[in-house]
Amino acid sequence: MSPSISRDGVRTALQLPSAGSNRRGRGAIAACLGLAAVVASGWLLGAQELGALQQADPLTRVDDVRTFFGLSPRGVIWIVVQLHLLFAAFVVGVPWFTVAVEIIGWRKGDERYDRLAREFTRLFAATFAITAGLGGLFTFTLFGLYPKFSNYFFGIFGPILYVYGAIFLIETAVLYLYYQAWDRLQRRKGLHVSLGVSLVIVGTGIVFIGSSMSSFMMSPAGIDETGAFVGTAWDAFTNPLLIPIVVHRLLGNLTFGGFVVGAYAAVRFLTSRTDEDRAHYDWMGYVGNFVGLMGLIPLPFAGYYLGREVYGVSPVMGNNMMGGDFSWAFIIQAMLVGLLFILGNYYLWSGMRRIPGAERYQKYIKYYIVVLVGCVAVWLTPRNLPLSPAEELAIGGQVHPLLGVLGLMSTKNAVINLIILTTFLSFLLYRRANKADLVPFRDHGLGTRSLVPLAGVLCLAILGWYATRLLALDPAALDLTPEKVFYFRFTAGLLFVAMAGVVTAVGLTLRGRGHLAQGMYFTVAVVEAVAVLGVFGFIVTTAANPFLRQLAAAQWLILMSALILISAIDLALFRNARSIGGIRWGDIAARSQYALIALCVIIIMTMGMMAYVRSGLREDWHIYGVMRDTSRWAFTPSIAVMTRMVGGITIAFLAAISFLFWLANLGGHRERVE
Amino acid sequence: MSGMRVVLFVLVLVGLFMWAGEVLNRASGSTRRAVSTEGVTLENGEIVFWGAGKCHTCHAIGPRGTSVRGPNLGESADGQDMAVRAIERAEARADELGRGMSPTEYLVESLTDPGVHVVSGYKNEMPVIYEPPISLEPDQLASVVLYLQSIGGQPDPAGIELPAAALAAGRGDDEQAAWEPYLDGDPALGRAMFFDEAGAAACSRCHVVAEEGGRVGPELTEIAGTRTARFIVESLLEPSASIAGGYETVLIETTVGVILDGVLVRETPDSLWLADATGEETILARRDVARSREQETSLMPENLADLLSVRDLHDLLAYLRTLR
Repeated sequence: MSPSISRDGVRTALQLPSAGSNRRGRGAIAACLGLAAVVASGWLLGAQELGALQQADPLTRVDDVRTFFGLSPRGVIWIVVQLHLLFAAFVVGVPWFTVAVEIIGWRKGDERYDRLAREFTRLFAATFAITAGLGGLFTFTLFGLYPKFSNYFFGIFGPILYVYGAIFLIETAVLYLYYQAWDRLQRRKGLHVSLGVSLVIVGTGIVFIGSSMSSFMMSPAGIDETGAFVGTAWDAFTNPLLIPIVVHRLLGNLTFGGFVVGAYAAVRFLTSRTDEDRAHYDWMGYVGNFVGLMGLIPLPFAGYYLGREVYGVSPVMGNNMMGGDFSWAFIIQAMLVGLLFILGNYYLWSGMRRIPGAERYQKYIKYYIVVLVGCVAVWLTPRNLPLSPAEELAIGGQVHPLLGVLGLMSTKNAVINLIILTTFLSFLLYRRANKADLVPFRDHGLGTRSLVPLAGVLCLAILGWYATRLLALDPAALDLTPEKVFYFRFTAGLLFVAMAGVVTAVGLTLRGRGHLAQGMYFTVAVVEAVAVLGVFGFIVTTAANPFLRQLAAAQWLILMSALILISAIDLALFRNARSIGGIRWGDIAARSQYALIALCVIIIMTMGMMAYVRSGLREDWHIYGVMRDTSRWAFTPSIAVMTRMVGGITIAFLAAISFLFWLANLGGHRERVE
Repeated sequence: MSGMRVVLFVLVLVGLFMWAGEVLNRASGSTRRAVSTEGVTLENGEIVFWGAGKCHTCHAIGPRGTSVRGPNLGESADGQDMAVRAIERAEARADELGRGMSPTEYLVESLTDPGVHVVSGYKNEMPVIYEPPISLEPDQLASVVLYLQSIGGQPDPAGIELPAAALAAGRGDDEQAAWEPYLDGDPALGRAMFFDEAGAAACSRCHVVAEEGGRVGPELTEIAGTRTARFIVESLLEPSASIAGGYETVLIETTVGVILDGVLVRETPDSLWLADATGEETILARRDVARSREQETSLMPENLADLLSVRDLHDLLAYLRTLR
């Protein structure tokens, strides 16, 4: 076990870490290995579809699609665009929390945060050039391999591309200004933070434009059914799936950025020679995991929203996603996302070892494990499996009487809500681990005391708004008969009960019973969002199926209200509480660092797989329902091909980013020496 | 050493992911090859139902399949086998239409015009399966009808007659030609007709173009930028086929038994403003409204084809196509 390091010890530890000459040598070897891995992965991935090409249909029209030195054009595009997206997610995602960390350091006057933010900036600045390079390569390959499609596509998006170019130039300028002017603007922190905020805004603009092109291919707008461009570039840009995809991507980028940074810190922690370095990278890993989980918690709902909009755009596409060719991909996705939650929680629990006083809460962790593992098991249970006639006979049909129920959407919604609530509880335990002797609520300042009522009002507004909407909902709007209004009223009634719970919780907190208020509202959320609406979902599935979407939204709103209200109470409850002892950064088991690395690898694979689903949903259409892919590659690759491709891309990405981080650290070392 | 351990750890994780893909691939039946479905046969119907037609993503047949989005087509909680159900439904549809309808005709109708009859408890969301993105060929469609007939009954290819639209879609090439009107209309004449409130069309009584005209119907200032020519023509000839959101007709019965219909153009907590087909508005106190119900018909006249000549219609269309 590494020795304990005090908070003050950390302050001195947060100099840029040392890098000995022997480590540079190892780094060079690692870099060469990385480059070799990139080249090898590229070759392997391309070679995979090479065999298929040898039987190529001689009638394939060269005007539509070309090959790349005998490699499948789709495979080439897949690799290039996925690598570009992964780097872009990092460059766009990390500035969000970099600026937040810088602002915290600035407002608290704590130099540690400023150094951490700067280190994050060094990392994303190092990957910016390759992101741009891959973006350019993607454009060239698209024009080269799919000339007909590119001509048509960029003909529609022409004006938007000018804006894209301009925003990209602005982002380049702002990014380097933000990074290079760090020292010069130390005394004008407000200005520097403004640059950071500008970087986030510009990055978000880029996400919007990039996403509009992929969403247009799924839900075209501004063109008629023959593909004739009858609208404007703005119509094409504001296509129906733009916002759902942007929301999903922004949260995904945040999660991705957090977990990649966490893995970087974990590797540095494992290879550190000094306690100071270990303390620094332990803290950095904690921040990465915290950010990753913050992005991950709302991500399932963003996914649900996206899925729902996909159904709205095309029931054919929606059904193919969840009940057709991609249903098995979603089983893998459930496994991966379940692992993200379990590992994120595991890291938090491991981290409690470094917090004096945390032993008081250790006894609860075993229950959390049971709940989480149980929920993940349910979450990845498929509704049915391909069975032989004998197997079908043995279980009495294609659907198992018990396991089939676990495969229904209402069960999935219930358990993901419980997973999120359990993760939230882990956070609460972590937060209060070294706190004791709370300050009575009435002794807090006005700001702290008004926090809870304000959160309560927000929750009441959210819940009340949706309850009212449900009451006003006309069954005919969902193609349901008038008597089905019962289901709407029942759900609205539960929302009103939750509102009563909010009022009670706020009242209890104001009377100094904050713990009771938290427990009470947490119970309300579990009972309503998980148990009651979970079971009610089964009834709705068969009796009023179209209402399931509204039911899921109600579950989500109850859950969100719990997160908002209980967090606000927690902040007020533990404000100025006595600390039992400082966090001993660096005092954490090595296996927890492997959890951070696993989180990073899993989020990369998840993103790669979901990109396959998003793109594959179009099936044999370049632009869904309008421009058909008539080439011999117009088929949906199997799951095995997908995992091979995504696995190879993951290795290539990790090798490339490790090389770039190594280069950035060479620069960082030089800065320190100078 | 730590660095090597990390590399190995990453490789093991990625390897597990790839292995999971291989296992699931085998479990899910591995790669599916395209199956030729030429000709109208029962086998082709089954292949299309469980494959390219994507019917299985919404419908199960008895214990086969697990989808619950659409009704189960076999013996189940949703009813008897499809062939038996088709006999009952055909009788019910015949009563509705006032003319005879065979079970096969019912099956064809439910596949090619599914919105006509939606089973209670299910949403009207079945796509037109002979149009993109499913784009079934006429033979494939007829094969599916045959397959549905075989669920609890005897397949009968002789009775299958597909509607003209389904047959026409099958004749289309991969790249369909853009729909074009038969005649080149005169936009200037069309504009005059649009704004002539005493004329037969009198569109401006309800529709606004560039701040000119009424607000009963949707604004048409940029209609050609957002809608295809075919859609505009359909809206002129069959205005109830697709009603713009917010412009649904409402039927109101007052407390004294007066029946009114129109579009709600304004609402306050106490009153409603109802505009009728002429654009005239009636103000009603909410307390005077006994019942109200949304209608499925548009307020726009359904007989424009009778009121206008073919030439007039094309002039009007030519003008509308300039609005972008």
